[in-house]
Amino acid sequence: MSKPIFELVDELPTSGLTVSMLNALDFIVPGEWQNTVGFVNTIKTVTGEDDEDLIQQIGERAIYLFNDKSQGYQTALWLYQTVDSADYALGAAALANKVGDTIPLLGFLNNLTPKPDKAQTIDLSLKVVAELVAFCQINGIPGDSIGDFVSALGEYSGESIIRMAALISVDGLIPLGPDFIEKSLSMISNMNPGELEGNSTFRTMQDAIPGDNTGGKLDFIGNSLDGVKGWMNGMIAANALTAEKVLNHLSGFLEFTDDKLDYVAAFIDVSTNYYEHTGTQTLAKRLIERAIAEI
Amino acid sequence: MILFRGRRVLASLLLCILLLTTACATKPPSRFDQVQQESTKQKTGQAVAKNATQGSKLNKFFPEGDDGYDRVYTQEKKGFSEANLKKDGKVVAQLAISDTTSTPTVASKYSNSTKEIDGYPAVELGKTQTSILVGKYQVKVISKDPLFNASDREDWIEKFDLDGLEKLK
Repeated sequence: MSKPIFELVDELPTSGLTVSMLNALDFIVPGEWQNTVGFVNTIKTVTGEDDEDLIQQIGERAIYLFNDKSQGYQTALWLYQTVDSADYALGAAALANKVGDTIPLLGFLNNLTPKPDKAQTIDLSLKVVAELVAFCQINGIPGDSIGDFVSALGEYSGESIIRMAALISVDGLIPLGPDFIEKSLSMISNMNPGELEGNSTFRTMQDAIPGDNTGGKLDFIGNSLDGVKGWMNGMIAANALTAEKVLNHLSGFLEFTDDKLDYVAAFIDVSTNYYEHTGTQTLAKRLIERAIAEI
Repeated sequence: MILFRGRRVLASLLLCILLLTTACATKPPSRFDQVQQESTKQKTGQAVAKNATQGSKLNKFFPEGDDGYDRVYTQEKKGFSEANLKKDGKVVAQLAISDTTSTPTVASKYSNSTKEIDGYPAVELGKTQTSILVGKYQVKVISKDPLFNASDREDWIEKFDLDGLEKLK
Protein backbone atom coordinates (compact mmCIF):
# COMPACT_ATOMS: atom_id res chain seq x y z
CA MET A 1 0.00 0.00 0.00
CA SER A 2 1.43 3.31 -1.02
CA LYS A 3 0.91 6.51 0.90
CA PRO A 4 -2.58 7.87 1.49
CA ILE A 5 -3.81 9.84 -1.51
CA PHE A 6 -4.25 13.00 0.57
CA GLU A 7 -0.60 12.84 1.64
CA LEU A 8 0.61 12.33 -1.92
CA VAL A 9 -1.32 15.40 -3.07
CA ASP A 10 -0.19 17.38 0.00
CA GLU A 11 3.42 16.54 -0.78
CA LEU A 12 3.43 17.62 -4.43
CA PRO A 13 6.18 20.21 -4.78
CA THR A 14 5.54 23.84 -5.67
CA SER A 15 9.02 24.36 -7.12
CA GLY A 16 11.93 22.39 -8.51
CA LEU A 17 12.95 21.16 -11.91
CA THR A 18 9.70 19.32 -12.76
CA VAL A 19 7.58 22.36 -12.02
CA SER A 20 10.00 24.71 -13.83
CA MET A 21 9.98 22.47 -16.88
CA LEU A 22 6.20 22.21 -17.04
CA ASN A 23 5.89 25.96 -16.67
CA ALA A 24 8.40 26.42 -19.47
CA LEU A 25 6.26 24.19 -21.72
CA ASP A 26 3.19 26.34 -21.12
CA PHE A 27 3.73 27.94 -24.54
CA ILE A 28 2.43 24.75 -26.18
CA VAL A 29 -0.88 24.80 -24.29
CA PRO A 30 -1.11 28.35 -22.91
CA GLY A 31 -2.74 28.76 -19.52
CA GLU A 32 -3.90 25.13 -19.33
CA TRP A 33 -1.86 24.03 -16.34
CA GLN A 34 -1.73 25.51 -12.88
CA ASN A 35 0.32 23.64 -10.35
CA THR A 36 -2.49 22.91 -7.92
CA VAL A 37 -1.09 21.17 -4.83
CA GLY A 38 -2.48 20.16 -1.44
CA PHE A 39 -5.48 17.88 -1.01
CA VAL A 40 -7.86 20.40 0.56
CA ASN A 41 -6.69 23.09 -1.83
CA THR A 42 -7.33 20.77 -4.77
CA ILE A 43 -10.85 20.06 -3.51
CA LYS A 44 -11.49 23.81 -3.28
CA THR A 45 -10.04 24.47 -6.73
CA VAL A 46 -11.83 21.61 -8.48
CA THR A 47 -15.23 22.12 -6.86
CA GLY A 48 -15.33 25.86 -6.19
CA GLU A 49 -16.71 25.06 -2.72
CA ASP A 50 -15.23 26.50 0.47
CA ASP A 51 -17.54 25.17 3.19
CA GLU A 52 -15.30 23.11 5.51
CA ASP A 53 -17.94 20.51 6.30
CA LEU A 54 -18.61 19.98 2.59
CA ILE A 55 -14.87 19.78 1.86
CA GLN A 56 -14.53 17.14 4.57
CA GLN A 57 -17.34 15.07 3.03
CA ILE A 58 -15.86 15.31 -0.46
CA GLY A 59 -12.37 14.45 0.80
CA GLU A 60 -13.62 11.45 2.76
CA ARG A 61 -15.55 10.04 -0.18
CA ALA A 62 -12.53 10.55 -2.45
CA ILE A 63 -10.31 8.68 0.01
CA TYR A 64 -12.80 5.81 0.21
CA LEU A 65 -12.91 5.59 -3.59
CA PHE A 66 -9.13 5.64 -3.91
CA ASN A 67 -8.61 2.96 -1.26
CA ASP A 68 -11.06 0.56 -2.91
CA LYS A 69 -8.72 -1.38 -5.17
CA SER A 70 -11.54 -2.58 -7.39
CA GLN A 71 -12.05 1.00 -8.59
CA GLY A 72 -8.76 1.10 -10.49
CA TYR A 73 -7.52 4.43 -9.17
CA GLN A 74 -4.55 2.85 -7.41
CA THR A 75 -3.49 1.01 -10.54
CA ALA A 76 -3.58 4.28 -12.47
CA LEU A 77 -1.40 6.04 -9.93
CA TRP A 78 1.03 3.14 -9.87
CA LEU A 79 1.35 3.32 -13.66
CA TYR A 80 2.09 7.05 -13.60
CA GLN A 81 4.74 6.41 -10.95
CA THR A 82 6.23 3.38 -12.67
CA VAL A 83 6.90 4.95 -16.07
CA ASP A 84 8.56 7.84 -14.31
CA SER A 85 10.75 5.84 -11.98
CA ALA A 86 14.26 6.86 -12.90
CA ASP A 87 17.25 7.47 -10.72
CA TYR A 88 16.59 10.88 -9.24
CA ALA A 89 19.84 11.15 -7.29
CA LEU A 90 21.55 13.17 -9.97
CA GLY A 91 18.67 15.58 -10.36
CA ALA A 92 18.41 15.98 -6.63
CA ALA A 93 22.11 16.81 -6.47
CA ALA A 94 21.68 19.32 -9.25
CA LEU A 95 18.82 20.96 -7.45
CA ALA A 96 20.30 21.01 -3.98
CA ASN A 97 22.06 24.30 -4.58
CA LYS A 98 20.28 25.52 -7.62
CA VAL A 99 16.59 25.89 -6.94
CA GLY A 100 15.32 28.96 -8.69
CA ASP A 101 18.61 29.37 -10.51
CA THR A 102 19.84 28.21 -13.87
CA ILE A 103 21.43 24.75 -13.94
CA PRO A 104 24.55 24.50 -16.07
CA LEU A 105 24.43 21.12 -17.66
CA LEU A 106 28.10 20.88 -18.52
CA GLY A 107 29.05 20.05 -14.95
CA PHE A 108 26.86 16.97 -14.99
CA LEU A 109 27.94 15.44 -18.26
CA ASN A 110 30.39 13.07 -16.59
CA ASN A 111 27.58 11.48 -14.64
CA LEU A 112 25.18 11.09 -17.52
CA THR A 113 24.89 8.48 -20.19
CA PRO A 114 22.34 9.21 -22.89
CA LYS A 115 20.02 6.31 -23.56
CA PRO A 116 20.33 4.62 -26.92
CA ASP A 117 17.44 5.33 -29.31
CA LYS A 118 15.90 1.93 -28.75
CA ALA A 119 15.63 2.41 -24.98
CA GLN A 120 14.31 5.92 -25.55
CA THR A 121 11.67 4.56 -27.93
CA ILE A 122 10.53 1.95 -25.44
CA ASP A 123 10.39 4.64 -22.77
CA LEU A 124 8.21 6.86 -24.95
CA SER A 125 5.94 3.99 -25.99
CA LEU A 126 5.48 2.76 -22.43
CA LYS A 127 4.49 6.25 -21.35
CA VAL A 128 1.84 6.32 -24.08
CA VAL A 129 0.57 2.89 -22.99
CA ALA A 130 0.59 3.91 -19.31
CA GLU A 131 -1.45 6.99 -20.21
CA LEU A 132 -3.95 4.87 -22.10
CA VAL A 133 -4.32 2.18 -19.43
CA ALA A 134 -4.45 4.74 -16.60
CA PHE A 135 -7.09 6.70 -18.51
CA CYS A 136 -9.18 3.56 -18.87
CA GLN A 137 -8.74 2.65 -15.20
CA ILE A 138 -9.70 6.12 -14.00
CA ASN A 139 -12.63 6.60 -16.32
CA GLY A 140 -13.94 3.08 -16.29
CA ILE A 141 -13.67 2.02 -19.91
CA PRO A 142 -12.18 -1.34 -20.89
CA GLY A 143 -8.40 -1.35 -20.72
CA ASP A 144 -7.81 -1.98 -24.40
CA SER A 145 -10.02 0.75 -25.86
CA ILE A 146 -7.43 2.51 -27.99
CA GLY A 147 -10.22 4.19 -30.02
CA ASP A 148 -12.00 5.56 -26.92
CA PHE A 149 -8.72 6.83 -25.59
CA VAL A 150 -7.75 8.55 -28.82
CA SER A 151 -11.09 10.35 -29.03
CA ALA A 152 -10.74 11.34 -25.37
CA LEU A 153 -7.36 12.91 -26.09
CA GLY A 154 -9.27 15.66 -27.86
CA GLU A 155 -10.91 16.44 -24.51
CA TYR A 156 -7.65 16.56 -22.56
CA SER A 157 -7.06 19.75 -20.62
CA GLY A 158 -5.21 21.10 -17.57
CA GLU A 159 -2.57 18.82 -16.10
CA SER A 160 -3.38 16.05 -18.63
CA ILE A 161 -2.65 18.18 -21.66
CA ILE A 162 0.60 19.58 -20.24
CA ARG A 163 1.67 15.97 -19.52
CA MET A 164 1.13 15.16 -23.20
CA ALA A 165 2.96 18.32 -24.25
CA ALA A 166 5.91 17.25 -22.09
CA LEU A 167 5.78 13.72 -23.47
CA ILE A 168 5.98 14.98 -27.05
CA SER A 169 8.71 17.49 -26.18
CA VAL A 170 11.12 15.85 -23.79
CA ASP A 171 10.52 12.15 -24.54
CA GLY A 172 9.94 12.57 -28.27
CA LEU A 173 11.38 15.61 -30.02
CA ILE A 174 14.50 16.23 -27.93
CA PRO A 175 15.90 12.71 -27.73
CA LEU A 176 14.58 11.26 -31.01
CA GLY A 177 14.18 14.18 -33.39
CA PRO A 178 11.36 15.61 -35.55
CA ASP A 179 10.25 12.27 -37.00
CA PHE A 180 10.16 10.56 -33.61
CA ILE A 181 6.74 8.99 -34.08
CA GLU A 182 7.55 7.28 -37.40
CA LYS A 183 10.96 6.33 -36.08
CA SER A 184 9.46 4.78 -32.94
CA LEU A 185 6.76 2.95 -34.88
CA SER A 186 9.27 1.36 -37.19
CA MET A 187 11.56 0.46 -34.30
CA ILE A 188 8.69 -1.14 -32.35
CA SER A 189 7.54 -3.10 -35.40
CA ASN A 190 11.05 -4.49 -35.87
CA MET A 191 11.55 -5.29 -32.23
CA ASN A 192 11.44 -8.86 -30.98
CA PRO A 193 9.76 -9.75 -27.68
CA GLY A 194 13.11 -10.55 -26.08
CA GLU A 195 14.31 -6.98 -26.53
CA LEU A 196 11.18 -5.66 -24.86
CA GLU A 197 11.62 -8.08 -21.97
CA GLY A 198 15.09 -6.67 -21.45
CA ASN A 199 13.57 -3.32 -20.48
CA SER A 200 13.10 -2.99 -16.73
CA THR A 201 10.13 -0.62 -16.90
CA PHE A 202 8.37 -3.05 -19.20
CA ARG A 203 9.06 -5.92 -16.82
CA THR A 204 7.57 -3.94 -13.95
CA MET A 205 4.39 -2.89 -15.71
CA GLN A 206 3.84 -5.78 -18.13
CA ASP A 207 0.89 -7.24 -16.22
CA ALA A 208 -1.02 -4.01 -16.75
CA ILE A 209 -0.48 -4.06 -20.53
CA PRO A 210 -3.18 -5.86 -22.55
CA GLY A 211 -1.91 -8.90 -24.49
CA ASP A 212 -1.58 -12.62 -23.80
CA ASN A 213 2.20 -12.72 -24.02
CA THR A 214 5.10 -10.39 -24.70
CA GLY A 215 4.42 -10.59 -28.44
CA GLY A 216 0.78 -9.59 -27.90
CA LYS A 217 1.83 -6.77 -25.58
CA LEU A 218 4.36 -5.58 -28.15
CA ASP A 219 1.54 -5.44 -30.72
CA PHE A 220 -0.61 -3.49 -28.28
CA ILE A 221 2.23 -1.01 -27.68
CA GLY A 222 2.65 -0.52 -31.44
CA ASN A 223 -1.10 -0.11 -31.96
CA SER A 224 -1.32 2.42 -29.15
CA LEU A 225 1.50 4.48 -30.59
CA ASP A 226 -0.07 4.25 -34.03
CA GLY A 227 -3.42 5.32 -32.52
CA VAL A 228 -2.03 8.53 -31.01
CA LYS A 229 0.12 9.34 -34.03
CA GLY A 230 -2.42 11.62 -35.72
CA TRP A 231 -3.23 13.50 -32.53
CA MET A 232 0.44 14.01 -31.68
CA ASN A 233 1.32 15.15 -35.18
CA GLY A 234 -1.56 17.60 -34.97
CA MET A 235 -0.20 19.08 -31.76
CA ILE A 236 3.28 19.33 -33.25
CA ALA A 237 1.98 20.99 -36.42
CA ALA A 238 -0.34 23.41 -34.60
CA ASN A 239 2.58 24.74 -32.57
CA ALA A 240 5.29 24.24 -35.19
CA LEU A 241 7.13 22.32 -32.49
CA THR A 242 10.78 21.47 -32.92
CA ALA A 243 13.43 20.36 -30.49
CA GLU A 244 15.10 23.77 -30.91
CA LYS A 245 11.92 25.62 -30.03
CA VAL A 246 11.39 23.50 -26.92
CA LEU A 247 15.02 23.93 -25.87
CA ASN A 248 14.74 27.67 -26.28
CA HIS A 249 11.99 27.66 -23.73
CA LEU A 250 13.89 25.36 -21.38
CA SER A 251 17.00 27.51 -21.60
CA GLY A 252 15.48 29.83 -19.01
CA PHE A 253 16.64 27.45 -16.29
CA LEU A 254 18.87 24.94 -18.06
CA GLU A 255 22.19 25.90 -19.66
CA PHE A 256 23.61 23.70 -22.38
CA THR A 257 25.25 23.74 -25.75
CA ASP A 258 23.45 22.67 -28.90
CA ASP A 259 25.54 19.59 -29.56
CA LYS A 260 24.53 17.99 -26.29
CA LEU A 261 20.86 17.28 -26.99
CA ASP A 262 21.13 13.66 -25.93
CA TYR A 263 22.51 14.79 -22.63
CA VAL A 264 19.70 17.27 -22.12
CA ALA A 265 17.23 14.43 -22.65
CA ALA A 266 19.12 12.21 -20.22
CA PHE A 267 19.35 15.00 -17.65
CA ILE A 268 15.63 15.74 -17.84
CA ASP A 269 14.91 12.03 -17.59
CA VAL A 270 16.75 11.59 -14.31
CA SER A 271 15.86 14.91 -12.77
CA THR A 272 12.13 15.32 -13.40
CA ASN A 273 9.06 13.22 -12.65
CA TYR A 274 6.49 15.08 -14.68
CA TYR A 275 4.41 11.96 -15.32
CA GLU A 276 3.99 11.15 -11.66
CA HIS A 277 3.50 14.80 -10.71
CA THR A 278 0.75 15.58 -13.20
CA GLY A 279 -0.64 12.04 -12.99
CA THR A 280 -1.24 12.48 -9.26
CA GLN A 281 -3.00 15.75 -10.07
CA THR A 282 -5.17 14.09 -12.74
CA LEU A 283 -6.12 11.30 -10.40
CA ALA A 284 -6.95 13.65 -7.51
CA LYS A 285 -9.10 15.76 -9.79
CA ARG A 286 -11.11 12.83 -11.13
CA LEU A 287 -11.58 11.36 -7.64
CA ILE A 288 -12.82 14.69 -6.33
CA GLU A 289 -15.16 15.18 -9.30
CA ARG A 290 -16.69 11.79 -8.65
CA ALA A 291 -16.80 12.31 -4.88
CA ILE A 292 -18.71 15.60 -5.08
CA ALA A 293 -21.25 14.00 -7.41
CA GLU A 294 -21.78 11.06 -5.07
CA ILE A 295 -22.11 12.77 -1.69
CA MET B 1 35.62 33.61 30.76
CA ILE B 2 32.29 33.30 32.55
CA LEU B 3 30.69 34.95 29.59
CA PHE B 4 32.41 32.47 27.26
CA ARG B 5 31.21 29.52 29.34
CA GLY B 6 27.74 30.96 29.46
CA ARG B 7 27.71 31.12 25.69
CA ARG B 8 28.90 27.55 25.47
CA VAL B 9 26.20 26.36 27.83
CA LEU B 10 23.64 28.30 25.88
CA ALA B 11 24.90 26.85 22.61
CA SER B 12 24.72 23.28 23.90
CA LEU B 13 21.31 23.94 25.34
CA LEU B 14 20.07 25.25 22.02
CA LEU B 15 21.59 22.29 20.23
CA CYS B 16 19.82 19.89 22.60
CA ILE B 17 16.52 21.66 22.06
CA LEU B 18 17.06 21.53 18.32
CA LEU B 19 17.88 17.82 18.37
CA LEU B 20 15.01 17.00 20.67
CA THR B 21 12.42 18.92 18.74
CA THR B 22 13.50 17.63 15.36
CA ALA B 23 13.76 14.06 16.61
CA CYS B 24 10.32 14.19 18.15
CA ALA B 25 8.72 16.14 15.36
CA THR B 26 6.10 13.88 13.85
CA LYS B 27 3.66 14.79 11.16
CA PRO B 28 0.70 16.73 12.51
CA PRO B 29 -2.45 14.60 12.48
CA SER B 30 -4.58 15.10 9.40
CA ARG B 31 -8.33 15.63 9.35
CA PHE B 32 -8.43 12.64 6.98
CA ASP B 33 -6.46 10.15 9.13
CA GLN B 34 -9.54 8.47 10.54
CA VAL B 35 -11.24 7.90 7.20
CA GLN B 36 -7.94 6.65 5.79
CA GLN B 37 -7.85 3.99 8.51
CA GLU B 38 -11.49 3.01 8.11
CA SER B 39 -11.30 2.80 4.35
CA THR B 40 -8.23 0.56 4.26
CA LYS B 41 -9.65 -2.17 6.47
CA GLN B 42 -10.68 -4.13 3.40
CA LYS B 43 -8.87 -4.02 0.09
CA THR B 44 -11.91 -3.90 -2.15
CA GLY B 45 -15.63 -3.45 -2.02
CA GLN B 46 -15.78 -0.86 0.73
CA ALA B 47 -16.49 2.18 -1.47
CA VAL B 48 -18.88 0.76 -4.02
CA ALA B 49 -21.58 -1.81 -3.25
CA LYS B 50 -21.35 -5.15 -5.05
CA ASN B 51 -24.87 -4.90 -6.42
CA ALA B 52 -24.54 -1.28 -7.59
CA THR B 53 -25.74 -0.64 -11.16
CA GLN B 54 -23.05 -0.51 -13.84
CA GLY B 55 -22.32 2.99 -15.12
CA SER B 56 -22.91 1.89 -18.70
CA LYS B 57 -26.57 1.24 -17.83
CA LEU B 58 -26.95 4.77 -16.50
CA ASN B 59 -25.70 6.58 -19.58
CA LYS B 60 -28.91 6.35 -21.56
CA PHE B 61 -30.81 8.45 -18.99
CA PHE B 62 -28.58 11.50 -19.48
CA PRO B 63 -29.91 14.44 -21.48
CA GLU B 64 -28.63 15.00 -25.00
CA GLY B 65 -26.62 18.12 -25.67
CA ASP B 66 -28.65 20.88 -27.38
CA ASP B 67 -28.89 24.64 -27.85
CA GLY B 68 -25.14 25.07 -28.19
CA TYR B 69 -24.42 22.67 -25.33
CA ASP B 70 -22.32 19.55 -25.85
CA ARG B 71 -22.55 16.55 -23.57
CA VAL B 72 -19.30 14.60 -23.22
CA TYR B 73 -19.19 11.47 -21.06
CA THR B 74 -16.21 11.42 -18.68
CA GLN B 75 -16.40 8.66 -16.08
CA GLU B 76 -18.34 5.43 -16.24
CA LYS B 77 -17.79 3.25 -13.21
CA LYS B 78 -19.80 0.75 -11.25
CA GLY B 79 -22.56 2.72 -9.51
CA PHE B 80 -21.65 5.96 -11.21
CA SER B 81 -21.66 7.80 -14.50
CA GLU B 82 -20.70 11.37 -15.28
CA ALA B 83 -20.63 13.73 -18.23
CA ASN B 84 -19.35 17.22 -18.82
CA LEU B 85 -21.70 19.83 -20.20
CA LYS B 86 -19.76 22.13 -22.48
CA LYS B 87 -20.57 25.41 -24.13
CA ASP B 88 -18.19 27.01 -26.64
CA GLY B 89 -15.60 24.37 -25.71
CA LYS B 90 -15.72 25.26 -22.02
CA VAL B 91 -17.04 22.96 -19.28
CA VAL B 92 -19.93 24.83 -17.64
CA ALA B 93 -21.39 21.97 -15.57
CA GLN B 94 -21.13 18.32 -14.70
CA LEU B 95 -24.05 15.91 -14.91
CA ALA B 96 -23.98 12.75 -12.82
CA ILE B 97 -26.06 9.76 -11.80
CA SER B 98 -24.96 7.68 -8.83
CA ASP B 99 -26.40 4.57 -7.22
CA THR B 100 -26.91 5.38 -3.53
CA THR B 101 -26.69 1.71 -2.54
CA SER B 102 -23.00 2.40 -1.86
CA THR B 103 -23.69 5.57 0.12
CA PRO B 104 -26.78 4.99 2.30
CA THR B 105 -26.49 8.31 4.15
CA VAL B 106 -26.91 10.15 0.86
CA ALA B 107 -30.43 8.85 0.35
CA SER B 108 -31.41 9.85 3.87
CA LYS B 109 -30.58 13.52 3.30
CA TYR B 110 -33.64 13.70 1.04
CA SER B 111 -36.06 12.69 3.80
CA ASN B 112 -36.01 16.24 5.18
CA SER B 113 -36.18 17.88 1.80
CA THR B 114 -38.94 20.47 1.31
CA LYS B 115 -38.15 21.12 -2.33
CA GLU B 116 -39.16 19.09 -5.35
CA ILE B 117 -38.08 19.02 -8.97
CA ASP B 118 -40.41 17.16 -11.32
CA GLY B 119 -42.00 15.52 -8.29
CA TYR B 120 -38.72 14.16 -6.92
CA PRO B 121 -37.25 15.33 -3.59
CA ALA B 122 -34.50 17.86 -4.26
CA VAL B 123 -31.55 19.23 -2.28
CA GLU B 124 -29.23 22.15 -2.90
CA LEU B 125 -25.77 21.65 -1.46
CA GLY B 126 -22.99 24.22 -1.20
CA LYS B 127 -22.75 26.85 -3.90
CA THR B 128 -22.56 24.56 -6.90
CA GLN B 129 -24.80 21.54 -6.52
CA THR B 130 -28.44 20.64 -7.06
CA SER B 131 -29.61 17.04 -6.89
CA ILE B 132 -32.70 14.87 -6.69
CA LEU B 133 -33.38 11.33 -5.57
CA VAL B 134 -35.00 9.08 -8.15
CA GLY B 135 -35.63 5.69 -6.59
CA LYS B 136 -32.21 4.60 -5.42
CA TYR B 137 -30.40 6.93 -7.81
CA GLN B 138 -29.11 10.41 -7.14
CA VAL B 139 -29.14 12.74 -10.14
CA LYS B 140 -26.85 15.72 -9.65
CA VAL B 141 -25.91 18.79 -11.66
CA ILE B 142 -22.80 20.66 -10.54
CA SER B 143 -21.91 24.16 -11.75
CA LYS B 144 -18.36 24.58 -13.02
CA ASP B 145 -18.91 28.11 -14.21
CA PRO B 146 -20.44 30.83 -11.98
CA LEU B 147 -22.74 31.87 -14.84
CA PHE B 148 -24.35 28.44 -14.76
CA ASN B 149 -26.66 29.06 -11.79
CA ALA B 150 -29.14 27.13 -9.65
CA SER B 151 -31.97 27.72 -12.10
CA ASP B 152 -29.83 26.31 -14.97
CA ARG B 153 -29.09 23.30 -12.79
CA GLU B 154 -32.81 22.67 -12.24
CA ASP B 155 -33.48 22.99 -15.96
CA TRP B 156 -30.86 20.40 -16.76
CA ILE B 157 -32.01 18.00 -14.05
CA GLU B 158 -35.44 18.04 -15.71
CA LYS B 159 -33.85 17.08 -19.01
CA PHE B 160 -32.70 13.69 -17.68
CA ASP B 161 -34.99 10.75 -18.48
CA LEU B 162 -36.18 10.63 -14.86
CA ASP B 163 -39.17 8.35 -15.44
CA GLY B 164 -36.97 5.86 -17.24
CA LEU B 165 -34.39 5.97 -14.46
CA GLU B 166 -37.05 5.40 -11.81
CA LYS B 167 -37.98 2.13 -13.49
CA LEU B 168 -34.36 0.91 -13.56
CA LYS B 169 -33.73 -1.61 -10.82
